[in-house]
Amino acid sequence: MKIKLFAATAVLALGLAACGGETPAPETPVAEAPAAETPAAEPAPVATASIGETPADPVAFMKERHEKYEDIGKNFKVLLDNSKLGTPDLAAVSAAATKVNDYAKEMGTWFPPGTGPEAGKTEAKANIWTERADFDVKLVNLQTEAAKLVTAAGTDAAAFKAQFGPTGGTCKACHDKFREEDKDK
Amino acid sequence: MTDTTVTSASPAPTPDQPVTRQKVWDAPVRLVHWLLVFLVTVSWWTAEEGEMQWHYWSGLTIVGLLVFRVYWGFAGPETARFSNFIKGPGAVVGYAGKLFKRDYRAAFGHNPLGALSVVAILLALIAQVGLGLFASDTDGLESGPLSPYVSYEFSKDAGDLHEAAWNILLILIGLHIAAIVFYLVVKRINLIGPMITGSRKAEAVEGSPSGIAPVPLWRFLIGVALAGAVVFLFVWLPTTR
Repeated sequence: MKIKLFAATAVLALGLAACGGETPAPETPVAEAPAAETPAAEPAPVATASIGETPADPVAFMKERHEKYEDIGKNFKVLLDNSKLGTPDLAAVSAAATKVNDYAKEMGTWFPPGTGPEAGKTEAKANIWTERADFDVKLVNLQTEAAKLVTAAGTDAAAFKAQFGPTGGTCKACHDKFREEDKDK
Repeated sequence: MTDTTVTSASPAPTPDQPVTRQKVWDAPVRLVHWLLVFLVTVSWWTAEEGEMQWHYWSGLTIVGLLVFRVYWGFAGPETARFSNFIKGPGAVVGYAGKLFKRDYRAAFGHNPLGALSVVAILLALIAQVGLGLFASDTDGLESGPLSPYVSYEFSKDAGDLHEAAWNILLILIGLHIAAIVFYLVVKRINLIGPMITGSRKAEAVEGSPSGIAPVPLWRFLIGVALAGAVVFLFVWLPTTR
């Protein structure tokens, strides 16, 4: 009985995981995603505005990109720490959410051609460039949820805590597909 | 049965009298051992699968088990006590020398060499959960309970070390299992059974034939309360900074 239950749960979990990993690309056109999700006051995010040209110094460009992502991580830790508190520091939360949102808006320009694994040390996987459409869908999701986080941080603690997970989820969704796992795995 | 060698301290069994069983491990030691086996496996699996909420609780439970085990190393029965099984280099070398002698008798509790393994695994586990308490991922999406008290950089480094230190634990666990297989195959001594049942045949063993004496329940309860308090502290701390 227990073994059957376990097997059923495992199969169900695997099924869900498989669905979760594959659905967004074909079913969510880029143009429609933000329209449905974005609050009326926010302008619709545009991910594909500029993919950009190959930079003159790709290695320096990639290093800078890495540092910007670390800064996002740093700001996200402020959000994470505060999400666990009974009374979050909403001023700090707003500042961090705004920073993340600003980075998200310009992130579409961070992956020009020639800045992938072929150019040097990076955790950016080559499929960013071969599956750019799905990458952009995930980026729009981030931009949508990051904008909502700024709004939530300006509202109250409950709104912030409710929005923290969905925003973080858009980071993870993209990392799971487009970022290299740690080198030792 | 008839060619049984018994310790000098125990009375020689008469042919029709069954060999008595020696109680080696008390229930708390066995429970902690097998819960660690289970939860270390869970912790590894949840980390691999990114199930960090389960990893968090699995790790915190290990924290509680370690607090209890360290306490039990001072308050438990004699085979659980550090003072009883941690020996100097002389005893370790002496034990290794006896290992292949014909009159070898199984140690009562941890032998001096195996004690090194116990201490190493305990220290590695303590270091591992210690790092996990402060750890966060590079994205600031998941973190241990003490991460809010340290910087992003510190927390991220703790997370990287937490991941790397797992390899040390794997090596120690490998040695531990290899030693058990060695005793089983080469020495024909089953160490797994006693860790499940708590006792073994009192033949060719050291220590008193009856084994460990019972420990009062209140001492066990103090350990449980201590472990629970520490776990509670780590659950509560991040909500209050």
